[in-house]
Amino acid sequence: MTQPLVSVKGLTKRFDVSRSLRDVITGKQPQLQAVANVDFTLAPGETLGIVGESGCGKTTLGRLLIKLIPATEGTIIFDRKDISEMDRTEELAFRRRAQLVFQNPFDALNPHFTIFRSLKEPLHNARVPKEEHSARIAEAMEMVHLPAPEHFLQSFPHQLSGGQLQRVVLARALVLRPEFIVADEPVSMLDVSVRAGILNVLREVRDRMGLAAVFISHDLALVRYVCARTITMYLGAVVEDGPTREIVENPLHPYTKALVQAVPIPRVDQSHDPLPISGGLPDARNPPSGCRFRDRCPLAEARCATEVPRLRDVGGTRRVACHLV
Amino acid sequence: MLLEVRDLVIDYRATRGRVRAVDGVSFDVPAGAVVGVVGESGCGKTTAVRAITRVMPSSAVFASGSITLDGIDLVPLSEREMKKYLWRDIAYVPQSAMNALDPVWRVGRQIEEVLVDRGGMDRKAARTRAEELFAMVGLESKRLGDYPHQFSGGMRQRASIALGLALSPKLVIADEPVTALDVVIQRQVLDTFTELQKQLNLSVILVTHDISVVAYVCDYVVVMYAGKVIESGPVAEVLDNPAHPYTMGLYNAFPELGGGDRELSPIEGSPPDLLDPPKGCRFRARCPFAIEACVSDPPEHQVSAGHLAYCHRALEAGALRETAIKTATWVGVASE
Repeated sequence: MTQPLVSVKGLTKRFDVSRSLRDVITGKQPQLQAVANVDFTLAPGETLGIVGESGCGKTTLGRLLIKLIPATEGTIIFDRKDISEMDRTEELAFRRRAQLVFQNPFDALNPHFTIFRSLKEPLHNARVPKEEHSARIAEAMEMVHLPAPEHFLQSFPHQLSGGQLQRVVLARALVLRPEFIVADEPVSMLDVSVRAGILNVLREVRDRMGLAAVFISHDLALVRYVCARTITMYLGAVVEDGPTREIVENPLHPYTKALVQAVPIPRVDQSHDPLPISGGLPDARNPPSGCRFRDRCPLAEARCATEVPRLRDVGGTRRVACHLV
Repeated sequence: MLLEVRDLVIDYRATRGRVRAVDGVSFDVPAGAVVGVVGESGCGKTTAVRAITRVMPSSAVFASGSITLDGIDLVPLSEREMKKYLWRDIAYVPQSAMNALDPVWRVGRQIEEVLVDRGGMDRKAARTRAEELFAMVGLESKRLGDYPHQFSGGMRQRASIALGLALSPKLVIADEPVTALDVVIQRQVLDTFTELQKQLNLSVILVTHDISVVAYVCDYVVVMYAGKVIESGPVAEVLDNPAHPYTMGLYNAFPELGGGDRELSPIEGSPPDLLDPPKGCRFRARCPFAIEACVSDPPEHQVSAGHLAYCHRALEAGALRETAIKTATWVGVASE
């Protein structure tokens, strides 16, 4: 097996949340566990989708992977180096090799910068020699299928459409020729007709550059289109991991099952069967004991309240965290 | 027909001139039916349905058209007369589950206000009705005492549906009611909504950008593009046999969970600037099937009973659909 590019072990992130008067008096600091003991590895060139509902910790996980925030516990190894123990040179190299694609293209670019300047900034920061800048920018623009004539590069964000902006945001991530990108809901702000174009660019980039990519989305249909492998998260924990096709066709975890069934399809003859789960996410500050999904799970039994299900291999490359599968 | 909208024209005053956001839109809502109005950002779908309630920003100008509800033309009514119809006959469930409710009032109080002020109920009857409404949308009645921030997104959406149904209106206009919600919650809210619609025999206009939501809940669909209706008809007809290239394109751009390895085809380019819209068909700059005739206004073509399309090539729709499925058809069409 090839050496994984990214290897995550026991990754946990807790945030302090606001204290009630009682907490202040008793000197307690309540915490919210956004990411709970997550393990996985990512091979070079592999594309991994992370799906789950709002509040499941998928965005926090993405931010941890790219070292925007420090982990509370656990390690992230990037190319054999722990990202929390890098020296300045290593850190600079990591910042070049790993890139983030932001969700909202309308906010991600500085409105006072021309497109050219937004694309030049990362090159400048990464100490790429000045005479290479134009060629590198042209290369990135070509990759995302944007025209690169001077007047386009000299325009400002407000002069572009949402689809063009998202391509610029993507080009800015690619301009440093990264080996690893994290894209957090990169198309959720865009209209359907434009969205397809960005998804196609993501697929092309994946194939042409051999990038390892983590694609975060609440929409399993989008993830299926771009990623060969998918992880389902629920309340901070990974509940299922496996090849996307198998997960979509035969989900094993009861939560993934509900997620697959809930995705609407643009056909009139779709299933109107009631969803197997009810209710919403429980309070993340005070998650259920044992399996975090048990209070919504149609299969839950006594054991689920006491034992935390381990993410275990269930054949092939699939892993599931459920006592009953 | 419960509601008939004919040749509706709405402008917005802007600094650079007048923007014709809705340009000659007509559609019908039969009693007891769910009609989806679908289109992308800026196509005029929200403006068109808000004109029915007459709750519009001050820059909006009602230029022409008629809106007939149950035989009464709403357009000549004064503001005051119009108010009699709001909530009682027409209810509006606004976009964004997050902002629809007043943050400083308890949710129950907001529902009771409508019941007392508009429904003429006394406080006690209003309280009972509010509890009944909450039960209908699947919320516990003790939550009536909560403030909106104590609700999750799905619960807030349920509460604003309860508010819309408060006075048993004839027509409910729901603007993107599930857009901000996660898939699981979205499905739960849609299921509750459909159940209520059937039970109360509600007539509904559902505004959305998502054709899968239309497929899931609507009986009829009106597809809008750049301020105009480009295709309309029964949902099964329009989605299975789209006759306008834009509807075909929308379908091919939509990622589908069971879609196998089908490649998505984006519609290149962007909608025209409505300050200075092109002559003729507004989709022609992005349309792979555009011909010379498209510079003149597209004719209305009846594809089948109730299924209308506005396209010069609607007669060839069958052949165009075959070509439209191929990704290559859509590449390099739009000139930026």
